[in-house]
Amino acid sequence: MTLSLHPLVILLIFPGGLFLILAGLAYEYVDRKLVARFQNRIGPRWFQPLADLVKLLSKEEIVPQGVQRGLFYLLPLFALASALTAALYVPMVGLKPAYTFQGDLIVTIYLLSVLTLSMGLAGASTVDRFALVGATRTLTQLFSYEAPFMLALLGPAIAAQSWQIGNINEFAGQNLWMLVAQPIGFLVALVGLMGKLELPPFDAPEAETEIVAGALTEYSGRGLALFRLGKDIELVIGLTLVAAFYLGGLHSPFDFILKTLGLLLAVALMQTLFARLRIDQVVGLWWRIGTILAVIQLIAIIAGRYLGTLIF
Amino acid sequence: MTIGSMFGDVFRSLFKKPVTERYPFQRPWVPERLRAKVVWNPENCSGCQLCVKDCPANALELIVVDKASKRFVMRYHADRCIYCAQCIESCRFKCLGFSTEEWELASANKTPFEVMYGRDEDIQFLLERAAQACSEQPVECGEAK
Amino acid sequence: MSGERFVIPIGPQHPALKEPSHFEIFVDGEQVTGATLRLGYVHRGIEKGAEQRTWTQNLYLMERICGICSHVHALAFAQGVEALAGVQAPPRARAIRQVIAELERLHSHLLWLGVAAHEAGFDALFMYSWRDREVVMDLLELVSGNRVNYSANLLGGVKFDITAEQKVRILDGLNFIEERVHYYLGVVNTDETFLGRTRGVGLLSREEAERLGAVGPTARASGVTRDVRVDAPYAAYSEFPVKMVVSQQGDLQARFVVRLDECFESIRVIREILNNMPESELVVRMPRRIPAGEVVSRVEAPRGELFYFIVSGGGDKPERVKVRTPSLANWGTVLATAPGHKLADIPMLVAGIDPCFSCNDR
Repeated sequence: MTLSLHPLVILLIFPGGLFLILAGLAYEYVDRKLVARFQNRIGPRWFQPLADLVKLLSKEEIVPQGVQRGLFYLLPLFALASALTAALYVPMVGLKPAYTFQGDLIVTIYLLSVLTLSMGLAGASTVDRFALVGATRTLTQLFSYEAPFMLALLGPAIAAQSWQIGNINEFAGQNLWMLVAQPIGFLVALVGLMGKLELPPFDAPEAETEIVAGALTEYSGRGLALFRLGKDIELVIGLTLVAAFYLGGLHSPFDFILKTLGLLLAVALMQTLFARLRIDQVVGLWWRIGTILAVIQLIAIIAGRYLGTLIF
Repeated sequence: MTIGSMFGDVFRSLFKKPVTERYPFQRPWVPERLRAKVVWNPENCSGCQLCVKDCPANALELIVVDKASKRFVMRYHADRCIYCAQCIESCRFKCLGFSTEEWELASANKTPFEVMYGRDEDIQFLLERAAQACSEQPVECGEAK
Repeated sequence: MSGERFVIPIGPQHPALKEPSHFEIFVDGEQVTGATLRLGYVHRGIEKGAEQRTWTQNLYLMERICGICSHVHALAFAQGVEALAGVQAPPRARAIRQVIAELERLHSHLLWLGVAAHEAGFDALFMYSWRDREVVMDLLELVSGNRVNYSANLLGGVKFDITAEQKVRILDGLNFIEERVHYYLGVVNTDETFLGRTRGVGLLSREEAERLGAVGPTARASGVTRDVRVDAPYAAYSEFPVKMVVSQQGDLQARFVVRLDECFESIRVIREILNNMPESELVVRMPRRIPAGEVVSRVEAPRGELFYFIVSGGGDKPERVKVRTPSLANWGTVLATAPGHKLADIPMLVAGIDPCFSCNDR
């Protein structure tokens, strides 16, 4: 434990729990506003995501026929819980991560995947056609981008010689920005982040015009609110991770806000520029181009280190 | 074969004002031919009722106060009107026209939608007759209304 | 019937459809193996209602069959009734009818571009093309007074004239639209992600298109040279002709290109008419009772050939009005080309024929 706050405060108020929820809503607002401005329209007001959350929480939750009741109620909780837990290991707001141990990079990535898995399970456990197709697509997309994304996050880990996010953050702060040193890795990580968050052009799993809402079609009220909240928090954590690794580490709150918002601008720009890719095109893109690029980057890093030890 | 072909437009929009018209706070521009509420001028009306016959939505009714001296009252149902301008074309004496100011016609109840046009004394006469009829027989009230 | 049939219902309520209809798509994973269609959700009994209204009142009823192609419905009806009465509308009225029809084609194609882009997930193109469509809507409001259901036609002519300053505004608006349509044509033809969704999808050969009876830009994108404005000119098309825009490619991308090229033709023809407008009165007197007879009236709506069959019994109300809209003729192409595609292509295929359910359900 590296933060000098009471554990309960860390879990419930800052930087986990309440603060994280509010940060998730704020980032969703910025994302929607930026996308709207890119499309030459006004966009929502600052309290819109909060209003959506409150509205959804206050609506009746309809449990459809044929669904497993236990799973139906528990899966949104798993999703939110995994997202909140993953925040304990990343440098939120530029402070040191609340808890840190060897290998917490893998645990964080795994926790973020638990969120996607619970959405896929939620879709697969109903009898609704749209949810089943959406669940299939969610899991297919999970299998495609996970490997390149992991490899892209591995690049800075190899450069920093550590599996701990805290150490990688320190290393990134002291050396040249990895954005410049490993540009291919940055590209793969950025696009992989969009795949993980199911943002356009990788939103085939929840394509509105094809399968209504994908895996989450049957959810309403509280379940939907918790899933959406989980996705918003995943946005914050994903941005924090990529900014910490590739944009020179996060060392102060001002640093944090500047770098994550800059990254969000790039993500919002990429959201508006492309049409939605079909799921088979997504798989083709990732397994052909994404993995190859990530592997090339890794080879470049390893070769660079080897040459470095030879020369010096 | 370009990736992100709309990049120039999209990026520049970040620095432009959004094109959305902020309607309730800014009144939009309306052309002079806008078809809003129908207005009737009783001066030249000859009582031919062509406008009433031609209206596709039965939105106009001509109530005869006195045929010989050409005193008529027109009842216009703004909620039935489809703003097609056929009545304006049918009238040979140019009695009908569109107001270009009153186009915000939404209302929370039905009373503003039944508009009586005519000379004030004619309308007064009709209302008195309706009130009189009401006091004599309750059945008649429904009709005269 | 294989036992593995998994049915995905698209509609009656679905975000992909703007109007209700019921598609049953039989899928095997993501592969579509069959499709059926059920229409009739927006049937309003307009043809029956037409029998109980006078000829003048019917003009406005026919206009409201569809919101996007309202002027051509009224135009077809007015032309049919004028033919029955043996009256021809004056030259200036016919020219103004053509100007409004071509402006309507512009706004309909821009609307369709936005909707098809939205079905592909390309929201930026959707928002931008609808923003530019507002220019055309403002022009139509300037000339007629309404943005939708312009009610330009009267039996025997048109209601209003286009003044000199309106002409200047229209020409300015057209310059702007022309430049934007060039840009969208570039996007549609070169954007890699968009081409991935449209190239090679929904391939319809010329023989198939002719067998299924496809009309309009859907048929012209497969090489069928059929256009009512060229084959049987109405309004002022004999004085101001249009060139037919045909493509041999036959897939979804070709339909985009054909519609956008038609926009250029429309702009060119409107400019030509506005600069050479014939002088005459606007309306010719029509009798209240139309003589008995039957007439077939065909016009080219933005979606294809629109067909009216009007029977008069000699009175002031029609005996029968039968409407065959272009969307009804194009459904066969969707059902025939759907098998073999992925599920994600179905909304694009449906959007590719520019469906108008209110039109075909009447």
